[in-house]
Amino acid sequence: MTRSPIFETFRYAAILIALAITLVPILWMASMAFKPIPEWQATGQNLTWIPKDPTLDNFRFIFGESSSNLIVALDRTAVQPIVASLLASVLGTLIAMTAGTAAAYGLSRYGSGQNLPLALLQLRLFPPMAVMIPVMIMWAFLGFMDTWWGLALIYGIVTLPFAFWLMKTFFDDMPREIEEAAMVEGCSRWRVFTRITLPMMRAPLASAALFVFILNWSDYLIALLLTTREWVTIPVYMASLSSSMTGQLYGAKAALGLIAAVPPVILGILIQRHLVRGLTFGALKQ
Amino acid sequence: MAKQNGLSRRGLLKSGFTFGVYGAAVGIAPRFIRPAWAQDGALAPGMIGGPTGFPGAERYQYGPDTPEGRAIEAAKAMKANGSAPARIVLGLSDGSIGQLTQPFPAGAPSVKEVWERETGIPIEIVGLPNGQEFTKVMQDISTSGGGYDIYSVEWNRLGDLAESGGIANLDEFVAAHRPEWDDPEDGYVGGSQGVALLNQYRGSTYGVSLDGDFQTWVYRKDLFEDPAEQAAFEQQHGRPLGVPLTWDDHAQVAAFFHRPDKGLFGSTDLRNQGWGYTNWYQRYVSMAAPNQFLFGDDGSPLINGAQGVQATREYVDSLAHHSPDAISWGWPEQYGNFGSGGAAMTCAFSNLPKFLDNPGNAGSTVTGKIGSMLPPGRQVEGGINSRSVLWYSLTGMVSAQSEAPEAAYLLLQWLGSARIYAWMSANPGGYLDPFRLSDFNDPLVNETYHEYHVKVLRETVARTVPTINYPGATAFHNALDESLMAALTGEKTPEQAMEDVESEWTRIVRRTGEDKVVDAIQKAKAAWPTTIDAMN
Amino acid sequence: MTLADAPLAPPVPPTPAEDGARLGFRLTLPAQVLVLFIAVFPLLMQLYISLTDWSPLAGVAWPRAWEFWNGFANYSDLAQDGRLWAALGRTALVMAVCVPVEFLLGLSLAMLFVDEFPGKRVAYSILIMPMMVVPAVAGYMFFMLFQSGGPVNGLLGTLLGRDIAVAWLSDPTLALVAVMIADIWQWTPLMFLILLAGLVGVPQDQMRAATLLGASAWQRFRTIALPRMKTIMIIALAIRVIENFKIFDTLYIMTGGGPGVATETISVYIYEVTTQDLIWGYVAAIALAILVILSVAAVWAMKRMGRAAA
Repeated sequence: MTRSPIFETFRYAAILIALAITLVPILWMASMAFKPIPEWQATGQNLTWIPKDPTLDNFRFIFGESSSNLIVALDRTAVQPIVASLLASVLGTLIAMTAGTAAAYGLSRYGSGQNLPLALLQLRLFPPMAVMIPVMIMWAFLGFMDTWWGLALIYGIVTLPFAFWLMKTFFDDMPREIEEAAMVEGCSRWRVFTRITLPMMRAPLASAALFVFILNWSDYLIALLLTTREWVTIPVYMASLSSSMTGQLYGAKAALGLIAAVPPVILGILIQRHLVRGLTFGALKQ
Repeated sequence: MAKQNGLSRRGLLKSGFTFGVYGAAVGIAPRFIRPAWAQDGALAPGMIGGPTGFPGAERYQYGPDTPEGRAIEAAKAMKANGSAPARIVLGLSDGSIGQLTQPFPAGAPSVKEVWERETGIPIEIVGLPNGQEFTKVMQDISTSGGGYDIYSVEWNRLGDLAESGGIANLDEFVAAHRPEWDDPEDGYVGGSQGVALLNQYRGSTYGVSLDGDFQTWVYRKDLFEDPAEQAAFEQQHGRPLGVPLTWDDHAQVAAFFHRPDKGLFGSTDLRNQGWGYTNWYQRYVSMAAPNQFLFGDDGSPLINGAQGVQATREYVDSLAHHSPDAISWGWPEQYGNFGSGGAAMTCAFSNLPKFLDNPGNAGSTVTGKIGSMLPPGRQVEGGINSRSVLWYSLTGMVSAQSEAPEAAYLLLQWLGSARIYAWMSANPGGYLDPFRLSDFNDPLVNETYHEYHVKVLRETVARTVPTINYPGATAFHNALDESLMAALTGEKTPEQAMEDVESEWTRIVRRTGEDKVVDAIQKAKAAWPTTIDAMN
Repeated sequence: MTLADAPLAPPVPPTPAEDGARLGFRLTLPAQVLVLFIAVFPLLMQLYISLTDWSPLAGVAWPRAWEFWNGFANYSDLAQDGRLWAALGRTALVMAVCVPVEFLLGLSLAMLFVDEFPGKRVAYSILIMPMMVVPAVAGYMFFMLFQSGGPVNGLLGTLLGRDIAVAWLSDPTLALVAVMIADIWQWTPLMFLILLAGLVGVPQDQMRAATLLGASAWQRFRTIALPRMKTIMIIALAIRVIENFKIFDTLYIMTGGGPGVATETISVYIYEVTTQDLIWGYVAAIALAILVILSVAAVWAMKRMGRAAA
C-alpha cells in the first residue's frame, strides 16, 4: 500500500494519543505501587507521577513483612488469595475449555445438542448477580462454599459459553476433507478429533483459553458471594486492604494489582503468535 | 507518652504478624517473642486471670467473682466435662482483628492468648470485609452455612437479626453468668437503659456490645490556635475564633478555613451513601429540646416538617466547605485526608485520634495537632442543644447455628466486661472503641485515645442519640439515605426529599408490622439523652 | 482408553451415522450437564420464592417460603419499581455509549495496525494491556484518577492551561461519564484485537488491485474488507453487548452505584436489593423477568445471526 508522509504522521500521532490514554491508569498504578504512604493522599499541586521517595514497602507489606510506615499488621498475606485466584481460574478455564470444545465439536460435526447455542447464550447474557441467591444456597448445600473447586466450577460454567461459541465458529469453518480422509484410512471418529482436529486448532484454543482465563481471573462479584475466608480471591482480598491509620491502602492495592497483572501477561506472551489468527473466530469468508 | 507509644509499637512489629490459621508463612523466620507472662506471669494476689507482664497489668486482672472470672470458670468447667467446643469461630471486621491478636502494651500477651491459655478453648477469628459485615452474616444465615459461632454486626441490626431467627436468645446465659453490664461504677453508660439499647431487643438479650461508635468531632488545634488565623478570623467576623458551638458557627468557621487550592477543607464530616446520613441526624435531632424525634409515639414519621427541611438544607449547603469529592468519600478517604492535614474539622468514629494522633503512625502529619470538641448544637430555651449519634458500633451476637452457644456467649461476656474490654479497646490494633464507664477512666485508654479526647468523648456520649434500631432499621435508613443523596446531588429539593422519606417510612412501618415498630420506637426513646448545655 | 473404544460398544457394528450421533452425544454431554446443573435448581427456587414475601430475615428457611405466599404481588410490583426501570434504562444507556465507542476506536486503531511500521510490536503490546488489569484494581485506580485533585484533572489542567477541579464522582452526570470512560479504557483493546484479526485476514492482493483501479480508501474498505468482516464485527459487538450489560466490578468500586443512584446499573441494583433491602422474593421476580426479556432478545439475536450467516 502506498504510504504518504501525511498518513504516516497521522498514524503515529493517533497511535501516540491512544498509547498515552492507555497508559495513564497503568502508569498511575505502577507509580502508586512504589509510593510511600505520605504520597498516597497527595492531590492537586502536590500530586506526583514519579514517587519522590520510592519504596518496596507496599510489596513487602502484602507479603507480611512489616514496613517502616505501616504499623497496621495484616491478618493474612496476599499469598493465599493469589493461590486461590490461580487455582480457581486455571481449573475453571480447564472446565470451560474441555466441556466447551467438546460440545462445540459435537454440535458442529454431528449435530448433537441443538439446544446448546441458545441455552449457552442465555447463560452468558444473564447477570450472575440475579442468580446468586440460589447459587449460594446450592453451593452451601453441596459444601462448595468457600472452596477453590467450588469457585472453579462456577467459573467453568459461566465462561463455558465463551469457550463453546469461540470454538464452534472455528469448527464450523474448518474444511472437513482432512477429517474425512483420515476416517477413510481407518481412524475412529474420536481419534480424528483428538489427533487431527484439535492439533489444527491450536491457535483458536490458545486464544480462547486466554480469553476465558482473563474473564475468570477478573471476577470480583462471584468470589465476593461464594467465598468467605479461606479461599477469597485477589479482588476480594484487595477490598480488605484498608486501615484506620491511613484510610485505603492504595499503595498496597496497586502493588497487588501489578502482581495480579502478571499471569495474564505471561499467558498473553506465551500465546502471542496465536493471538491474531485465534481471534478471527473462523469467521473470515474467503 | 510518646516513648511508651514507641515501645508498644515496636512490640507490635516484633510479634504482630500472626498469619492466622490459614495464612501461609513465606520464608519468614520465627519472630514470635515468648510473651513475658510465660516467665514472670504472676497474677496479683486474689486474681484468677487476666493479662500480665506489663506495668499496671493488675488493673485488667480479675477475681473469681467478676463477670470475667465467672466466664472463665464456666468455660473451664465446660472444657473439663468435655462439653466445650473444639474452637470458637468469631467473625470480626478485618480492621479490628489486631485488637485481639496483637500484644499490647509491650510485654503483654494478646487478648486471644489470654483466653486460650486460661480456658484451653481456641478462638478462630474470621475477617469480615469492612462495611460488609452484615452481608456476610446474611450469607451465613440464609445458606445455613454455620461458618461462625459469633457474628459481630452493627448494633442496630440487632432487631432485624433477632426477628430473622439467625441469632440466639442469650437470656438464659445472662441469668446464669451475670455479666453486670449495668454496674453503676464501670457498666454501660445509662445503666440498664444503655444495656437495653445496645444488647437487647424487645426485652431479651441478643447481643453483647463490643464497640462504642459515638460520632465525635475533632479539629485542628494548630490551626485554631494560630495567632495569624485568629486575627484574620476576628477581622472578618468580629468575634474571636473558637470551636463552633452552634451549627451556624460551624458553617462560618468551616467557610473560613476552607481553602481547597491549598489542600485544606473546612469540615469533612461524611456525605457519602450509607454513612453521610448520620451527620444529617445530628443536625436534625438537635432541632428541639431535648430532642427532635424521628417518629411520633404512634409510629408516624415526624421528619417532613420545618425541622426536617431545615436540617436537610443545612446538610446540603455544608457541601460548600467540604471536598468537591465529598459524596464519593467514605471513612478511609476521610481518615486519609485528615491524617495528611487536609481538613480543619471533621466528625468521625471516636478512634480518629487513636490512629492519627499517634507517633507510631509515620503517615500522619497531624500528630500532636488534634483537638476534640462537642458536636455543634442549636440555641434552645435555656442553652445549647448539641447532639451526636451512635452509628455502626459492632455488637457480638451468637449465631443460632452455633453448636456451642454457651461457650460463645462466655467469650463475649469475657471480652465485653470492664477489665478485658478496657484493655482491648486501648489496643491501637483495631477500631473497637471504648463505651463503658470503666473505659473512660482507664489509663491505657486515656493514653491511646488521649486525655483531651476521652474528656470530650465522655461528654459526647451524654449527648448521643441512637440511630434507628427497630425492626426494619435497614429499610428505614436506606429510604432516608436515598432521599438525602438525591438532595445532595440536587435531584430533589429538601422539601421533596423529606416528603419522599415520610411516605417511604410510612410504608415500611406498615410492612414491618405497626405494633412491633411502635413498641420498639417507644422503648428506644428512653435511651435518648436530655442534656442541654448552659450558655456561657 | 477412548470413549469410542469403550466396552459398552454393541457387538453389531453401528452405521456411520449412528456412530457419529453417539460420539456427538457424548461430546456434548458435559456441557449439557453443566447447563442443567446451573439452571434447574436456581430456576425452580427463584420461581418458588418469587411468589412469596420470603426474605432471609423472615425467620424460616427458604423451603418454608410458602408461609409468606403472596401470589403474583412481586410481579405486579415490578411495573411500579421506578428504580428498577431507571437502572435498566441506565444500563442500556451505558451500553449504547460504550459499545459503539469501543467498536469505532477499536476499528480505527486496527486499521492503523494492518501493515507493518516501526514500533508496531511495542505499540500493540501496550494497547492490549488494559485487558490484563483486574477490573477491581482498575476500579480503585480510576477512583483515584477521578478525584477532584487527582491526576485526570491534573492532566486536563496541563492540556488546557488552567486549573481544573471537576468532582467527577460526586456529580451524577460526570460520574456516569467516568464509569463509561473506565469501561471504554478497559475493553477497547478487546475490540481492537478481534477487529485487527479480522482485518489482517482480508486478502491484501485484492486491496492492492482495488487501489490500482483507483478506488478510494473508503471504497476499498466498504467493498472488500467490510463484507468479509461482517461476521467478525457482529461477534465482537455481541461479546461487548453481552458483557457490558452486566457491568459491575469496576463501576461498583468506583461509585458504588452513586452518587445517589446516578450510576446504578441493573447488576448494581440487584446487588443492593439483595444485600441491603434483603427482599429476596422480589429479587427472584426481578431475575425471572430479566430472564424472560433476555431470552426473547437471545432468540431474536440467534435468528438474525442465522440469517446473516446464511
